[in-house]
Amino acid sequence: MSYAIVFYVTRVVNFATGQVMMSAIMVTTALSMKNLPISLSIIIGISTSIILSLIIYVIGVRPVQRLDRFSFAWLVSTIGIGIVIESIAAVIWGVGSEPFPQLLNGKTFAFLGGRLTAQQAMCFLVAIFIVAAYEVLRRKTLFGKLGMAISSDPEIASTIGGNVKGYAIFAFAISGLLVGIAGVLVGPTSFADAYLGGTFGISGFVALMIGGIESPVGAMFGGFILGILESFAVTYINSEAASWFPFVTVLLVLLLAPDGIFTSGKAFSKNFLKMLTNTKRAM
Amino acid sequence: MSEALTQKNQTRIFKKSSGYLFIILIYLSGTLLLAHTSNYNQGLLLVAVVFSILALSLDLVAGVLGLYSLGHAGLFAISAYSVTILINNYHWNTFLVLPVAIIACALVGIVIGGLSLRVSGLYFAITTFLFTLIINVLLTKLSITGSYQGIPGPMFPNFGSGLAGLGTSLVWACSGALAIAVFVMWSIRRSSTYPVLLAVRDAEQFAASMGVKTSRTRVLYFALSAGLVGLAGWAFSFLGFINPGQFGGTASINILVMVIFGGMNTLIGPIVGATFISLFPVIVAWSPLWQEVIFGVIFVFVVVVVPEGFVGFISRIIRKLREGNSTEPEHAPTFNENSAVELLSISSKARRIEPIGDSPYALEVRDINFSYIPGVQVLQNVSLAAKKGSIHGLIGPNGSGKSTLVNLIAGELQLSEGNIFLNGHSVEKMHSYDRPKYGLMRTFQTSVMVKGVSTQANVGIGLYSRYKWLATRAVVWPIFPGNWKTSRAIGAQSINALSKVGLKGNWPDTKVADSPHGVEQLTQLAAACVGQPSVLLLDEPLAGLSKGETQVVSDILRLLSASGVTVIVVEHQTRFIFDVCDEVTVIAAGRMVATGKASDVRVNDQVREVYLGQ
Repeated sequence: MSYAIVFYVTRVVNFATGQVMMSAIMVTTALSMKNLPISLSIIIGISTSIILSLIIYVIGVRPVQRLDRFSFAWLVSTIGIGIVIESIAAVIWGVGSEPFPQLLNGKTFAFLGGRLTAQQAMCFLVAIFIVAAYEVLRRKTLFGKLGMAISSDPEIASTIGGNVKGYAIFAFAISGLLVGIAGVLVGPTSFADAYLGGTFGISGFVALMIGGIESPVGAMFGGFILGILESFAVTYINSEAASWFPFVTVLLVLLLAPDGIFTSGKAFSKNFLKMLTNTKRAM
Repeated sequence: MSEALTQKNQTRIFKKSSGYLFIILIYLSGTLLLAHTSNYNQGLLLVAVVFSILALSLDLVAGVLGLYSLGHAGLFAISAYSVTILINNYHWNTFLVLPVAIIACALVGIVIGGLSLRVSGLYFAITTFLFTLIINVLLTKLSITGSYQGIPGPMFPNFGSGLAGLGTSLVWACSGALAIAVFVMWSIRRSSTYPVLLAVRDAEQFAASMGVKTSRTRVLYFALSAGLVGLAGWAFSFLGFINPGQFGGTASINILVMVIFGGMNTLIGPIVGATFISLFPVIVAWSPLWQEVIFGVIFVFVVVVVPEGFVGFISRIIRKLREGNSTEPEHAPTFNENSAVELLSISSKARRIEPIGDSPYALEVRDINFSYIPGVQVLQNVSLAAKKGSIHGLIGPNGSGKSTLVNLIAGELQLSEGNIFLNGHSVEKMHSYDRPKYGLMRTFQTSVMVKGVSTQANVGIGLYSRYKWLATRAVVWPIFPGNWKTSRAIGAQSINALSKVGLKGNWPDTKVADSPHGVEQLTQLAAACVGQPSVLLLDEPLAGLSKGETQVVSDILRLLSASGVTVIVVEHQTRFIFDVCDEVTVIAAGRMVATGKASDVRVNDQVREVYLGQ
C-alpha cells in the first residue's frame, strides 16, 4: 500500500521500499538491544524510515523526473538506493540475524479454528484502520481531493494552486511512515537482518501489481490475496510453490488486466471481449 | 567532369574503406594481445566483452525502439544454462550449440516482444522484470541447473597445433561474438530502416500511416535482440561457473545501467558502459559489501547525473567546440515563385493492390456511426463519396467530428457501424498500417513525425512500404550493394519530394525538432506523396503555414488531382476550401449538413447558418 500511495501521487514506484522497511526494523532492534525502552526505539525506527523515504525522493526521484523519454529512470535510481541502504546496513550490523523484540507475538488466541498471535491480529487491524483512514482523507477532505487532482493531471492541478512538489514530499513521508509501521508489525514474526528488505520489497511489489498500481486500497487487498494464494500454493502444490507461485500469478494478472484486478474490473472484461473478437477475426 | 567526379568518389571510397580496415586491424591485434595475456586479465576483459554484447542488444530495443526490457538477464540465463547443459550433459558440439542458443533465445524473444503489444512503457519493463525473476527462481529450484550453487561451464576447445600461435581460443571466440554484435548494430544504424525504427519508437501513428507494421517490427527486433543475448550467453558459459546470482533482477538493471551510462542509442556507448561498470568494482577492489554500495551509487549517479550517457556528454562537448566556427544554417524556405511545381512522379512500380469494380469513387464512406463512449454518438449516418481525381473538402465547426471521420477512414479508430470502400475494396476492418496498400496515405493535424532525425529521413519513412524486406535487410545492410542502391534511391526521392513542396537548401538535412510547424506540415505532405497514394487524406494541412506556403499547397493539390490522385482535405480556411475543392461535404455535430459541388454548398442556407456564420 505504501508503494501505491507514492505511485498514486508521483507516478513513481519506490523500489527501495523493502530496504526502508528493513532499516526501520534494524534500527528498532539495535536500539532495543541497547536497553532503550521499546516504545522509544520503535518511534526512532519509524522516524528513520520516514527520513530515508524523504532522502530517496530528494536524491533519486526528483532529479530524474525531468527526463522525458526514459520516463521511469526512477526505477533504476530507487533500486540503486535500495542496494546502497542494504549494503550499508550490512556493513553496520553485519550479515547475521538478530531477534526482533517480541512485542505481542507471545500471546495467542483461537480464531476460526486456527491459532493467531496477537501480533498477527494487530497487523490485520492496523491495516484495516489505515485503509479506512486513507479513504476518508482522500474522499472527504479538500486535501485528499487535491491529491486526486494532482494524481490525474499534475499540470492542471498546479494551475489551480496545488503544490505538486509538496504533495510528492508528503506522499513519500507517509509512505515512510507506513513502511515503518509495517516493519514494526512484521518484525516480531521474522528476524531482523540486513537482507530481509529484498524479500519483503518483492512481495510488496507483487501485491501492488495484483491489486492495482493505481489504487492504494486495491494494493492492500492485493497483499491479502497474495498471502492467501501463497498459503494455498504451499498446501495444494508443494512447499516450494510459495517462491514461484506469486510471480506466475502476477504475470497472469499483468497480461489479463494490466491495471490490477481491483482497478480494472471493467477494463478486464473489455480486454477479454476484445481478445475473443480478435481471435475470432484471426480465425 | 564526370571523370573527375568518379575519381573523387573513388578516393572517398578508398579513404573510407582504409579507415574500416584500420579499425579491423586494431581490433584483431587487440584480440591477439589479449589472447596472450594472463588468465586473470583475460577473465576480467572477457566478462566485459560479454556484457558489451548484452548492452548492445539491450540498446537495440531500449535505445532504438524504446522498449525498456528488464528481461535480458532472464534470456541471458536461458542461453548460458542451455549451452552449458547441452555441452556438459549431452556432449553437443561447441559450435553447433551456438545457433541453437541464438534461435532458442530469439523464439523466447518473440514471445516477450509480443508482450510489448499488450503492455507498454513501465508495464513492459515490469513484466519483463518478472520474467527474469521467474527464470531465476526456476534456476534455483531445478536440479539440472544445480540450484543455488550453479554448474561449472564447459571448456572451450583449444586451437589445433597449427594455430597455437594465436593464443587462447576463447578470447578469439568472444571477440568474434562482439564483432558480430557490433556489426549488426552498425549496419542497422546505417540502414534506411533506422529512421523507421525511430518512428516506431517516437511516432507510431505516423509510422503506421505510412504502412509500417509497427507491432511486427517491434517483435522482430526484440527477437533479434534476444538472438544477440543468445550469442552473449554462449560466450559467457565458457567463462567459468554459472549460478543464479549472476542472472537476477539486479543483473537486468545492471545491463540497463551500462547502456545508460555509456549513452543510449549510440554505437560505442553500450560498450563503454559495459566495460566500465564490469571492470570498475574489480579494479577498486574494496570489500564485497562496499562494492555493493558502489554499485548502488553508480545506479543513482548514472540516471541522476549523466542521463545522456558518456558518449552523449562527449559529443555535446564536441558540438559546442564546433559551433564556434560553423556558419549558421540557412533558415528560410525557398519556394518556387512561379509555382511551377512539378508533379511528384507516379510510377507504375508501386506495390499496390489493384482497384476492383468500376465505381467512379476512389473513396466511399457509407452510413458511418461511431461513438467513443456508449451513448454519445460522435458521428451519425455520415456518408461521403469522393470521385476519382477530385479534391474533396470536409468542413465543419470545431467538435463536429471531422478529425474523427479522418481517423476512421485511416484506420486509427475502428467504426461501430457502416462501410468504407477504397477503390472498391472494403477496408473498414483493416489495421491502419494495412490501408496504405490500397492506396491511402494521410497527414496529421498535429506534429507526429520523428523529431530526432532530418526531414529527409522522415520523408524516407514514407517510402518504407515500397521496398521489400527493409526491416530484415537492415541487419546485413552494408554487405549487399543492392542495399546501398536502395539507400541512395530513398535519399534521392526524399530530397526530390521535399524540393517539390518547396523545401530546398538546408531543409532536407534539418532535424524536424528544429523546424517550424509549417515546414513540418510540408514535410508530412511530401512523406505522404512519396508513398504514391491514390487517395490522399489531409487533416488541416494549412495549420501554421504562411500565405506563400498555402499557395504552394494549393498548387500541389491541383496537380495531384490532375494526375488522378483523389484528395480529401479537412480545413478551416473556407476560402482555400471553396477555391481549391471540386466538392465539399459539411458536417456539424456529427451529422451531415450538406454535400455536393463546392459552388452549390457555398450558397446552401443551412451551411451558411452552421458554419459560415451568416
